Amino acid sequence: MNIKITYNWLLEYLDTDASPYDIQKYLSLCGPSVEKVDKMGDDYVFNIEITSNRVDAASVFGIAQECQAILPEFGKKAKLKFDPLNDYKFVNIQKKYCNKNSLKVIIKDRDLCSRFTALVFEDLNLKPSPELISKRLTLCGIRSINNVVDISNYLMLSLGQPVHVFDYDQVKKSMMIMRRSKKGEKIITLDEKEITLSGNDIVIEDGEGRLIDLCGIMGGANSAVSNKTKSIILFVQTYNKNLVRKTIMTTGQRTEAATLFEKGLDEERVEPTLVYGGELLEKFAAGKIASQIIDIYPNPYFKRKSISVSYEFFNKIIGITIEPRKIKRIFTSLGFKINNLEDDRTKIVSVSIPSWRQYDIDIKEDLVEEVARIYGYNKLPNQLQPIVYLRQPPEIEKLFKIQSKIKYFLKYIGLNEFINYSMISKEMIEDSGLKTEKHLKLSNSISQEIEYMRMSLLPSLYKNIKDNSVKTRYNTAPGEKGVMRFFEIAKVYFKNSVLKDSPCREVYKLGIAVNTDYFDLKGIVEALYKELNINDGLGQMITNEIKIEEKNGVFLTEIDLQKLIDDYRQIPNYKPITPYAVIKLDKTFELEPKHTFQMIKKLAFQSNLLQKIEVVSIFRNKLSLRFYYSSSQKNITEEEAKRELEKI
Amino acid sequence: MQNNKDIIIELNKELSSLTDLTSIDQLEVKYLGRKGLINKLLQKIKDVPVNKKKAYGQKINQLKNEVKRIIKIKKLELTNNKTDEFFDATLPGKPYPRGSLHLITSTVEKISKTFQRIGFIRMSYPEVEWEYFSFDSLNMPPDHPARDDFETLFIDVPPAPKLGKMILSPHTSSGQVREMWRCGRPPIRMVSIAKCYRPNWDITHTPMFHQFESLCIDKNITITNLKASINYFVKEYFGEDYQARLRPFHFQFTEPSFEVDITCSICKGKGTIGHQKCKVCKSGWLELAGAGMVHHNVLIEGKINPEIYNGWAFAFGLERLIMIKIGLNNMRLLYDGDIRFLEQF
Repeated sequence: MNIKITYNWLLEYLDTDASPYDIQKYLSLCGPSVEKVDKMGDDYVFNIEITSNRVDAASVFGIAQECQAILPEFGKKAKLKFDPLNDYKFVNIQKKYCNKNSLKVIIKDRDLCSRFTALVFEDLNLKPSPELISKRLTLCGIRSINNVVDISNYLMLSLGQPVHVFDYDQVKKSMMIMRRSKKGEKIITLDEKEITLSGNDIVIEDGEGRLIDLCGIMGGANSAVSNKTKSIILFVQTYNKNLVRKTIMTTGQRTEAATLFEKGLDEERVEPTLVYGGELLEKFAAGKIASQIIDIYPNPYFKRKSISVSYEFFNKIIGITIEPRKIKRIFTSLGFKINNLEDDRTKIVSVSIPSWRQYDIDIKEDLVEEVARIYGYNKLPNQLQPIVYLRQPPEIEKLFKIQSKIKYFLKYIGLNEFINYSMISKEMIEDSGLKTEKHLKLSNSISQEIEYMRMSLLPSLYKNIKDNSVKTRYNTAPGEKGVMRFFEIAKVYFKNSVLKDSPCREVYKLGIAVNTDYFDLKGIVEALYKELNINDGLGQMITNEIKIEEKNGVFLTEIDLQKLIDDYRQIPNYKPITPYAVIKLDKTFELEPKHTFQMIKKLAFQSNLLQKIEVVSIFRNKLSLRFYYSSSQKNITEEEAKRELEKI
Repeated sequence: MQNNKDIIIELNKELSSLTDLTSIDQLEVKYLGRKGLINKLLQKIKDVPVNKKKAYGQKINQLKNEVKRIIKIKKLELTNNKTDEFFDATLPGKPYPRGSLHLITSTVEKISKTFQRIGFIRMSYPEVEWEYFSFDSLNMPPDHPARDDFETLFIDVPPAPKLGKMILSPHTSSGQVREMWRCGRPPIRMVSIAKCYRPNWDITHTPMFHQFESLCIDKNITITNLKASINYFVKEYFGEDYQARLRPFHFQFTEPSFEVDITCSICKGKGTIGHQKCKVCKSGWLELAGAGMVHHNVLIEGKINPEIYNGWAFAFGLERLIMIKIGLNNMRLLYDGDIRFLEQF
């Protein structure tokens, strides 16, 4: 998530001599990434990316805390002017409570809300915000509405804890019941959208059973602050993050508050937020506290979590030695406490974790990260790990090597490589005469175009040819205009009947498609086989293995890559050059279904003197062949060769 | 006997007056024919004393070659002069097919070679995966957002016990624990380059994309090793002018985790072009990859003792590498199957 805060606002919390651009540079290297700084009038707006584990930093105060740790490493002064977490306590406003039991709260399920606080204010004077607040909000991309609403937003940006404000008089019977939503329940939110809930969202209903809040996302329109509002409920909570996330996903309502809640917030920051809110409401909206503080906090945080680690561990993982003094400074500046600190390197120290990092820091390596990043990744040297010899499994080595050989060969003879999506549509499957139900199907595909895992490359290649047949191309040779010869090497996916290691059978295929003719495609395959030295021997071609389909002028073939890999020979079989005469004989045949080239060839090769056959010409069904006869033992006569040819 | 030299002078004299091929052919017969001058000289060898036969033979052969050469040159001169048609040497040559390879293919080759040089082997793992390998084994809890319907594509079959649902692997990191199991014991130096899938489809996302994962596990592996490996790759792939930097980030399966940025190829790392802010990058840097030190829970899942071994891992999106390198701004073009795009590479 990204947040926007301003430089002047940051200076309210931080005493520093760093310029906005210093802050951008140094924070980005060691902490949250400051993606942009924009000068706006006399202030600067930072746009900062906050990673999902560091929601504690998603506020002006959170960034001030990071600055305090990071900037001194770059020789800049940085000190928190005050710490709202210590300075804003319930006790500050205790004398101001009234004991009126003006709000009744029932939480139906403990699992919904880890801390629930609320405070009623009356006699509010709604008016535009003071310039300081409205200007800062505007700079940070939030529309200024009135002092009360603005204060709630200002609190969220200041401390990173979302706040909601209800019109007290619209919460009927002064009662709030927090519960899980039921499927089909409806709520109209502040932005006037009617949302139908899918159930299990956190909601609040008032004493008359009206839903007044879609918790963590947005309040209800029925209890919103209006210009008639006199009394309000200031409302600060931490919710079950998983339920909030679920609601974001099912409703599509991703508000700023929701983005914070879904990350899981520090319950300890609820108290300062409520107290600071009270201060602002009193100061800028003339609010008077009109209730007890309601604070429902079933599992209060009372003891810091600690992790034990040795100094040596930091150095071992980081790769350089960092002085214990430096480590101590880093932890202290981040609000951690480090105990049993002695300058003994193997000494185990105990690092205790502040409340706002309790969900983020779990293991020793998390502590290493804090030290390493604040020390500065940019200061670490580049040291390559030792090189070791490892044997790549031979079948994998072959797979990649031969795949690459095939790709380059096909490219060099003029084919274009395509990579298509592994998923195809039902229509493409049916068009190719394949069975949809045999395919693995996606359960949450985002488009009908990509719903099934393909079992063949051909539907995609056929589509490639069809899609491209209307396009004007640049790289084709004259006379080749409009000619398309495409190929793809990719896995296809078959359902596994037995559940094994791998959940489906993934098989590499080579698919080729051309819009020329049958013999063009067959020639490509034959050339490839030759290149791979497959069946190069006695003219024993692979014709029978090649299955070529034709569909609307597109010729397609698909070959199992593994078969090519298995049959591949790096070096073809050596044949001695015969010192004896070769007799060449021509003969013309009439081709007919019972008398094909394949059969002629088969018969001809029954002669052990035949070396090879060449096609001389084809005219209609007349096929002229040239036969090469020779023996490896002696010179043969033309008569002997003719006798061999007669046998066909 | 005539001297070789004299014969050559005589030949040249005779040739100089000839202007047509026919008469040259006649002259050739006179010298080189069966009853020609050279042969006659050769026949005389029988009269030469035995001890001089060898030298004599060599001398005649030399002469024969020289005569052949001179006549050939004269013939060539004549044939060339005879052509009246204009020969335009600037015309294009005979066209040969060129073909093309997909950008992904050439990138994959480059990456595998780069890492092979520092001892990494390329491996391959399933694309259709179990949740266990893509998530649980990578320290991602069952409620992690990456595991929901909006981030991962699921296959419509019942889940398997222990392994969970069948999915399309959303990242190449699913191979990490598989590689640890395969190797049994470190050292591990692996790269895996494979198709990954996520339910996003727009100008910078396609539902299928490629990632390139690298995993290194051994004794005493450090952040400085990771930094050096990334730096090595960036310089090899993009060039010496490019810098890489690590920034703190968050991933479940690494700790510490980093984001890798490289110098922006558009503004050359300045962040501005003229007086305008560079629109492509964030202040001179482009986000490129995720990286980190392998989380000890992942090592444990891989049956590797984290007290003895540790390691680093990173993953780059191949499409992003390509987009930065060639200045492509629409990722979908890679997979839309438009020949006018593909045939260029």
